[in-house]
Amino acid sequence: MTRQDICSRLRELMKKSSPRQVDWNAYTEQSGIAGLGFDSLSVLDLIYDVQQAFDLEFDAEELTGIETVGDLVTFIDGKLSAKG
Amino acid sequence: MAESRRVVVTGLGLVSPVGLDEKTFWGNMLAGRHSIRRLSVLDPTQFKSPNGATVDDQIFSEALEKRSIRPFDRALDMAMLASTCALESGGIECAAEPPRRNMAVITGTGGGVVGNVAESFNRFAEKGLRGVRPTTVIRIINNSISSMISIRFRLTGPNYAVTSACTSALNAIGIGFRMIRDGYIDCALCGGTDAMFIPAIYGAWDRIGAMSENPDPEKASRPFDRDRDGFVLGEGAGMILMETNESAKARGARVRGEIAGYGESSDATHIAKPDKDGQIIALKAALADAQTRPSEIGYINAHGTGTTANDESESQAIREVFGSSADQVLVGSNKSLFGHLMGASGAVETIATIMGLEAGRVPPNLNLDNPDPACNLRFVSGTATDISSPLALKNSFGFGGNNAVMVLRRYEI
Repeated sequence: MTRQDICSRLRELMKKSSPRQVDWNAYTEQSGIAGLGFDSLSVLDLIYDVQQAFDLEFDAEELTGIETVGDLVTFIDGKLSAKG
Repeated sequence: MAESRRVVVTGLGLVSPVGLDEKTFWGNMLAGRHSIRRLSVLDPTQFKSPNGATVDDQIFSEALEKRSIRPFDRALDMAMLASTCALESGGIECAAEPPRRNMAVITGTGGGVVGNVAESFNRFAEKGLRGVRPTTVIRIINNSISSMISIRFRLTGPNYAVTSACTSALNAIGIGFRMIRDGYIDCALCGGTDAMFIPAIYGAWDRIGAMSENPDPEKASRPFDRDRDGFVLGEGAGMILMETNESAKARGARVRGEIAGYGESSDATHIAKPDKDGQIIALKAALADAQTRPSEIGYINAHGTGTTANDESESQAIREVFGSSADQVLVGSNKSLFGHLMGASGAVETIATIMGLEAGRVPPNLNLDNPDPACNLRFVSGTATDISSPLALKNSFGFGGNNAVMVLRRYEI
């Protein structure tokens, strides 16, 4: 799966679980996750959706420091590579 | 009752199998265009009861999209859309800032957010704890319905869900009515919702034997008919906006009808078998609350499910309370048109009653080919019928031995 594939899939997941009205046309790797409408509760849904969609297992604590879409794409890419 | 405590209805919102807007709904209702079909959302060959009345998915999805309502659970989404429509029709600005204080949100529901419950159970069965979504708790509490409505529209009066099976919506409206009349709140958004076309839930209804097994969708729902054999399951939501007459007049709102009285009771005999004595208590309580005599009531929108037990006990209760007036009052059931909407039925049927009083005309009873002699009342025929009296009753009864009756009045200044 390419980085762009991950980014596109992530956009769909975020669109589904964001509680706010967001201009998804403006979504880029530089977009801040908080700016896309995620708060401490809805981000739990996002983590769950990422785990299910990419068949990954990780602790929420591992996401500490992740602030942008690009950060999250890099994190997922790394987990997928480690999985082989 | 003081003038300021008259409670009027100023907004109507509904999501029903016969329409998702007032005009379509009422046009289909008066024309007798029913929405009962052979099941398409479930495999009808799996069940003894092969028919249902579902909401048009395409129109529903478009309506949600148009109002930027993000899907959460079907029952909740229906209530959210109905609430939005009720506020729009009532001329209330949605999501006003600052918050609209003193408006309650009370949502009746039988099954609640059962779609989310089923999904969470399925995921747990499939993947164990790893399949459990961290936000499952907020997704499966039934008061998520009223809570999310209050949050979306910034309504800071009380919000909660009422669960009393098929009586839920009328109980919710009755509670809101009393809160306004007694001065606790100024306005309320109340009603009900249910969406139970889920294999395990539909299967449960199928197995309890309360649904019609008639294979012909044209003939399956036939309240008060000699050949009735049960109800047809439907889905939907109805919400009404209520406020004091004084408040409605002050803001120049279009008043659609008046809530004149409300009564409720419990059978305290059996959880599933209706008891006319309990229904009589609720009927008498509602009439007394409205300071109205049976002879003044022109129309009864009956619970009229089409089960043998309900229609017989309801007819007996009406006859006993109305005495000789039972020969004059027109009785009808909307369930031949859109099935049994369960926890939403009391709200959508209240809306139909309010619209009937406004129009002076009520929808037909389909399939009442041979009225059951055990249901000895004066029924609305197979075509829409004129009514002249400004007063009507709405009955709702439910599993649990719950009974609720509301007196509705055509609005006069």
